[in-house]
Amino acid sequence: MSQVIDIPLAAISRLAFACSALLLAPAATALEASLGSTDLSLRGFGTLGAARSTDGSAELVRDLSQPHGISDHWSLTTDSLFGLQVNARFSPELEAVVQAVTRYKYDETYNPDLSWAFLRLTPNPVLTVRVGRFGTEFYMLSDSRMVGYSYNTVRPPPDYYGTLPFNYLDGLDLAITHPFAGGLLTGKLFTGQSREQSPLGAPPDFDLNESLLIGGYLEYLDGPWQIRLGQTSVRFDNDLPLESFYQQLPKATADELRVKDQWSHFSSLGIVYDQGPFQSQLMLSKTDNEHGTFQDTWAGYLQLNYRIKDWTPFLGLSFATSDPKALSHPIPPVTDPYQLDFYSNQRTVFVGARWDFYRNVCLKAQVDVIRGSADSKFLYRYETEDWDGSMTIMSLALDFVF
Amino acid sequence: MQDRKGLLLLLFVLLMSQSAVVAEDSLVVVMGSDSDVERLTREQVVHIFLGRFRRLPNGLTATPIDRPQDQSLMTDFYQLLVGKSPAEIRSYWSRLIFSGKTAPPRQAGSGQEVVRWLAETPGAIAYMRPDECPPQLRVVLRLGP
Repeated sequence: MSQVIDIPLAAISRLAFACSALLLAPAATALEASLGSTDLSLRGFGTLGAARSTDGSAELVRDLSQPHGISDHWSLTTDSLFGLQVNARFSPELEAVVQAVTRYKYDETYNPDLSWAFLRLTPNPVLTVRVGRFGTEFYMLSDSRMVGYSYNTVRPPPDYYGTLPFNYLDGLDLAITHPFAGGLLTGKLFTGQSREQSPLGAPPDFDLNESLLIGGYLEYLDGPWQIRLGQTSVRFDNDLPLESFYQQLPKATADELRVKDQWSHFSSLGIVYDQGPFQSQLMLSKTDNEHGTFQDTWAGYLQLNYRIKDWTPFLGLSFATSDPKALSHPIPPVTDPYQLDFYSNQRTVFVGARWDFYRNVCLKAQVDVIRGSADSKFLYRYETEDWDGSMTIMSLALDFVF
Repeated sequence: MQDRKGLLLLLFVLLMSQSAVVAEDSLVVVMGSDSDVERLTREQVVHIFLGRFRRLPNGLTATPIDRPQDQSLMTDFYQLLVGKSPAEIRSYWSRLIFSGKTAPPRQAGSGQEVVRWLAETPGAIAYMRPDECPPQLRVVLRLGP
């Protein structure tokens, strides 16, 4: 448990860096320059976020890429991050984007990750092609989860986004946008490989490297309405690092639990209604797995936001509920507790406000009240015997962009 | 009792938002007069300035121009166009920029620069107050109370 307290030397220097960037940020808007016919810009974003829970018997993670979650003392680790992005525009049709983000990650360091590095080709307004490393779009807002300034909550609802350890992929995507029936219809396809890791509480980590991702979505935008249907499939290239556990099981049972070369499918529906000061989001997702480890999960959230001058109060409700796969060769005393480690059954009411008190800087405060069953563990780390599935989380965040 | 309080709060919120919308003057959305675009719908202008779809009716790619130096003009424009505050527009663009999507509108330093870019760049489109609109520009949409 002292690990959270141990990290901070590196953490504090990174955060000091982020804070100094914050102080500079309002003075400097995006730095822009031209080299020959190439337009260069340097931009950044960041969050200084503190959170604590009322309950020391488990740690809720923001997402499964982080080894520790929110505990019963105030900590900056979960939500604080800093990102820098360079855009190089060679012509109106061709642009290169490189982005690095430093945040608390799977190996308990803040070593920056190269999150984006791609070329974007827009030969005409209808077609966009990207090649390289770019954000995953499992769900409607999942490629801007790190940019706190772009949304009102302190963090994207963990019940919904928390099960995704995928932030970027190396690959290709293609989008087509066209007017349709008075609105705009967009279709997108993407494919690539993951390069990331997901921690499991103790080393070694779950290696997602070379997992294949294939997905796409259809989105319709008309006036204040935006509706998206999405589908993404992942084929894992590695097993969970539990080889000695699998070896002890009969082969037929172990094979049902192995995820290597098996698919997980993520289907989602997102509806946004955005009219003047009122904005609402309804997101639903269903995960189906072709293996007995990760559980088939329903998750969703509804969030209502209403801006009053510089203040935007919001209210939301989210949930995640899952079912273990029925195994053909179960060994209940062993496989039941194994499968239970991936179980979710919880609901969260979250309420808070965003205050845009200065250009490109905002302050947020939020309370999350979580009610779940005591065996709802997938989104938590370090549960103790006292864990009863319920906690309240308090969060503060300062977000900025430049 | 609680319900009544909630209702009063809601009414108050609605009244606040109503009073916020009434204050602006009218604005014009303009293009160079040699562009063969006569008119644009409000929806088309929304798509162009919010980076959703930037093809003009004549097939050219639209290049929207913002006026960050004139905050009150920019504030009025986005308030009239989509009912959004400057912070909401910056928040919107931070999502698109940092997820590597569309580029935001070009940032002009002054009204003169806007007029020059409109003359030089095919497909360029900007907004201004009606009284500062020079005769060589074509009004493609009027926004106003």
